[in-house]
Amino acid sequence: MTLDDLERLVGVEFPVGEFTIEGYEHWLATDAVDSPPLPAGVAHPMYAYYAALGGMGLTLDELFAMVGSSAADGPMFGEAGLEFREAMRVGETYRVEGGITSAARKTGKRAGVFDIVSFELRVVDPSGVVAAVSTNSFIFPRRTA
Amino acid sequence: MRVSAGTALPNFEVDEVRAAAMKTMAVLLRDPNPIHFDPDAVAALGMGDRVINQGPTNMAYVVNMLVAWAGHPACIRALKVRFLDNVRGGDRVVAGGVVTSVAGDGRHQIAECDVWLDVVGGPRALAGSATVAVAAGAATGETPAR
Repeated sequence: MTLDDLERLVGVEFPVGEFTIEGYEHWLATDAVDSPPLPAGVAHPMYAYYAALGGMGLTLDELFAMVGSSAADGPMFGEAGLEFREAMRVGETYRVEGGITSAARKTGKRAGVFDIVSFELRVVDPSGVVAAVSTNSFIFPRRTA
Repeated sequence: MRVSAGTALPNFEVDEVRAAAMKTMAVLLRDPNPIHFDPDAVAALGMGDRVINQGPTNMAYVVNMLVAWAGHPACIRALKVRFLDNVRGGDRVVAGGVVTSVAGDGRHQIAECDVWLDVVGGPRALAGSATVAVAAGAATGETPAR
């Protein structure tokens, strides 16, 4: 992927998707992460992340392909950010929308050439209120940039 | 509950990170990466002989600490983390934090915190920052107004 191709990614919107917080999945997830007790009906805050990534309108493989990479290239998580605006509810279905917000090429002494691509996902409740915003960055090694 | 810069957040500890829980999360997250459920795949990659916890689960331990401290999930306003190292099956981990600054109107405090997750006897797995609303009634489950 050329630098021009990379820079053209900024502003690309993902297809809109959706995510339902199923009660049994919420039970299993909170058990798996050793959650403290939560108020009835209130989802664990990590559902801001699970809903965003699980409900975005493309798969991670499709996202990697969009930036000229694949899982086999060894992309790595960089940073993850969550903004919690409203408590999310078990049983509710949320719309997930967003896209790529930044893309930059860097060179490290040990890592060589790599790209950092960030994207933002907004988790929207049925009334149109943004309940949470998830921002994530992936690091893509570019051995043949 | 009143807090000030320097207030330590109570630790949240997981005595043993469970390989079985990673399998559950692999399914729930639709995460096909075998390093989370197949020790042979981990070994083949030269990453040791124990399965590797999902990054979001490491993040969840920090969220658990914040929920337990603040008293209600809605008290957490923001969390940002960098993933620094792996957590493996069987590890004991401790999530911790400290208040770095406080703003607010006297009724509600907005605490900025440094947060982290450490492997006991091992590396720091993640580090970051959190914004948490703290009210006098938070410890009894009252949700601070936004």
